[in-house]
Amino acid sequence: MELVISDLTKEFHGFRAVDHINLTMKNGVYGLLGVNGAGKTTLMRMLCTLLHPTSGSITCDGRDIFQMEEEYRKLLGYLPQEFGFYPDFTVNDYLMYIGSIKGLRPAFARKRVNELLHQVGMSKGRHKKMKKLSGGMKRRVGIAQAMLNDPGILILDEPTAGLDPSERIRFRNLISELAQDRLVLLSTHIVSDIESIANEILFMKDGKIRLSGTEEELLSSTWVRAWSCTVPLQDADRLQRQSLVSNRKTVPGGAELRIVSETQPIPSAVEEGLTLEDLFLHLFGEKGGDEHGEV
Amino acid sequence: MVRYEIRKVFSRASGKIALGMLAALVLVVSFIAIQSVEFVDADGNSSTGIGAAKSLREAKSEWTGYLTEDVFAEVIRRNAEIEASPEAQSKDWHENNRAFAKKQGFSDIRDVINSALCSFREYDYFRIDSATPDEASQIYERRITNLENWLASDEAKYMYSHAQKEFFISQYRKLKTPLYYEDTDGWDAVLTYSQTVVMLAMLILAFLVCGIFSSEFKLKADAVFFSSEKGRRSGTRAKILAGLAIITVIYWAVVLLYTGIVLFVLGVGGRNCPIQAGFHGWKSFYNITYFEEYLIAVFGGFIGTLFILTVGMLVSAATRSAVISVTIPVIVLFLPLFVRGLLKEGLSAVSLYLLPDQLLQAAYTVSFFTAYEIGGKVVGAIPLLFALYSVLFAALTPVLYWVYRKSEVG
Repeated sequence: MELVISDLTKEFHGFRAVDHINLTMKNGVYGLLGVNGAGKTTLMRMLCTLLHPTSGSITCDGRDIFQMEEEYRKLLGYLPQEFGFYPDFTVNDYLMYIGSIKGLRPAFARKRVNELLHQVGMSKGRHKKMKKLSGGMKRRVGIAQAMLNDPGILILDEPTAGLDPSERIRFRNLISELAQDRLVLLSTHIVSDIESIANEILFMKDGKIRLSGTEEELLSSTWVRAWSCTVPLQDADRLQRQSLVSNRKTVPGGAELRIVSETQPIPSAVEEGLTLEDLFLHLFGEKGGDEHGEV
Repeated sequence: MVRYEIRKVFSRASGKIALGMLAALVLVVSFIAIQSVEFVDADGNSSTGIGAAKSLREAKSEWTGYLTEDVFAEVIRRNAEIEASPEAQSKDWHENNRAFAKKQGFSDIRDVINSALCSFREYDYFRIDSATPDEASQIYERRITNLENWLASDEAKYMYSHAQKEFFISQYRKLKTPLYYEDTDGWDAVLTYSQTVVMLAMLILAFLVCGIFSSEFKLKADAVFFSSEKGRRSGTRAKILAGLAIITVIYWAVVLLYTGIVLFVLGVGGRNCPIQAGFHGWKSFYNITYFEEYLIAVFGGFIGTLFILTVGMLVSAATRSAVISVTIPVIVLFLPLFVRGLLKEGLSAVSLYLLPDQLLQAAYTVSFFTAYEIGGKVVGAIPLLFALYSVLFAALTPVLYWVYRKSEVG
C-alpha cells in the first residue's frame, strides 16, 4: 500500500490551509506533528476524501483516491478529531450501524464488534448509551469504529486530545498494537504521543511539511542543541525572554533551565541530548505546545 | 442501514414526544369531527356522540334513494308543513328546536334545494321556505343555468377562457341525475377535518424527517459517515428511504386512524353517493362520489406531504440545518394564503392554486373552480396537481441524493 501526495494544496476563501505538500507513505506509523491551525486536519480530511483539494493529487497504489471512491474508502479507517456519534445509540448499536455503512454483513459485523470491543476494553460497556460514556471510553469506541473494516489505511486525528495521562498511555499502546501491517497516520500536537510509536515523524507548519524523517534522522539533521543550566531567579527570567526555554524548574537559590539553542546560551550551560520536544519548540517557537499544557 | 436511520430518529426523546403529540392531536381532531354531528331529539334537546349519530342516521334513512322531482317536492311540502306548525312559529327557541328535529331527516336535501334555488354565488338557508313544489322540477336544471349565468356575469366573465367555461358547463351536464342520496355524515365529517389532520401530520413529520440529513453535521458524525465505504451511496440512499418510510407509515397510520375512529362512530354509509347530493359538493364540477373525494383528499395529502417534506429534506441536506428546513412546510402552508390575498386575479393568482398546499386540502380544492388549459385541453386543478407534484417529487429525490452524496466535510 502506497499513498502518494503530490503538490497538494487546499485553500479556503483565499486562506491556504495546505500548501503544496509532497509526501509518500507506505505501511508504518506516521506521526504528524504541528500546532493547532497547522493544516493537519485539512490534510487528513483530504486523505479521507472528505474534502477535495484545490490542486494536486493523492494516489493510492497509483490511482487517484477521489476516482477510486468506494474502493478507496473500503481501505480506510478514520477517527476524526471531533468524534461525533449518535447520543441515544448504545455502543453496540453505534458500531453495528457503522459496520453497515462500511459495507460489513451483519453477522460479520457482530463478530468484529465483539473482537474490537474486547480489544479496546469496552466489552462491559457495550450496552451503555454513547452519551453516557466518558471521554476516554468515547475515544476507545472511536478507534473501534475506525478498525471495524480492518483498514489498510488508518487515519487518527488527535486521538489523545482531552484524555487523562493514563488513558493517553493506554491509547498509545493500543495504536501501536493496531499499527501492524497497515499505514497509520496519526496527527497530534502532543510530542510524547508519537515519539515512541511513530516510524516517521512529519512536522507541519503553516500548511507545509517543514521536516520529516525518523526520530534519529530529525534529531541529527539540525544544528540546534539542548542546554541545561542552573541560574539565579533574575537571570532565569532574562534567559527565558532571550532564549527558547523548553523547561524551567525552580530549585533552591534559583532555577534550572533547559534551553534550546544553536549556541551555548551562557558559559555555565551544559549540553544535553536533544529531544523531539526540543525540536518541536525550536520549529514552532512560542506557539509550540498545547493550549491544555500537554506537551 | 434504513433500520438504523429510522432508529436515529426515534431514539431521540424529541422524536418520541413528537410522535406522541401527533397521536394525541389526531385523537383530538377525531373527537372534534365526531362532535360536529349533532342530533336534536323530539323534545328539542341536542346531543352528540355515537348515540346521536345513530339517531340522525335513522332519521335520514327515510330519505335514502334517488333524489327525483317527487322527492324534492315532498321535501318542500314537508318543510312547509313544519314551518307552519306552532313549534316553528313560536318565539321560544326550544320550541323551534322541536320543529327543527322534524326537519333533520331531510336537512341535506333541503341544502341541495336551497343551493339550486339561490343564484350561483349565494346561499339562503330559508330559501326553501318560500319554494313551491312546482319548483322541484327545476332543481337539476337550475344547477346548470346558475353556473351559466355566473360564468356570463361581470365577476366571472374574464376569469375563465371560453374553453374553460365550456369545460365547466360540460362537466355539469355530464352529472348523472337523479342523484342517489344516503346519509353521508360520517364521510362529511371525515372530509371536513381531513385537511387539519393532513397538515398536522405534515408539520410533525417535518420535525421528524428534516433532521435525518442535517443531524450528521450537527452531531459531527459527518466525517465518519462520509469517509465510510458505503456512506456516500448506500448511506445516503438509506437516509432517503428512511425519510420516505417514516413519512409513508406515519402519514397513513394517522389518516387511517382518524378515518377509522370517525367512521366507526358516525357510520360509513353514503360512500357511493355523488358529492353533489350534499351541500359542500353541489357546485363541484368533479363528478365523483364521497369515497372518491376521500381518496383524492388522502392521496392528495400524501403526495403533497411527500413533495413538501422532500423539499424540506433537500434544504436540510443543502443547508445542514434542521431549523431552516423545518420552516419550509410552514412557508408552503401559510405563504400562499397571504399571497393569494394580495393577488386576487390575473395569471399569478390563478397559478397560486397550483401550489402544493392545495393538495393538502384537496377536499376543499374539489369545490374550487380552477381549471387549466394544456395543449388545447382543459383539465381541472386536481388531476394537474396530482401529476405535477408526483413528477416533481420523483425529480427531487435524485437531486436530494446527489446533493447529500457530494457533501464535503470541512
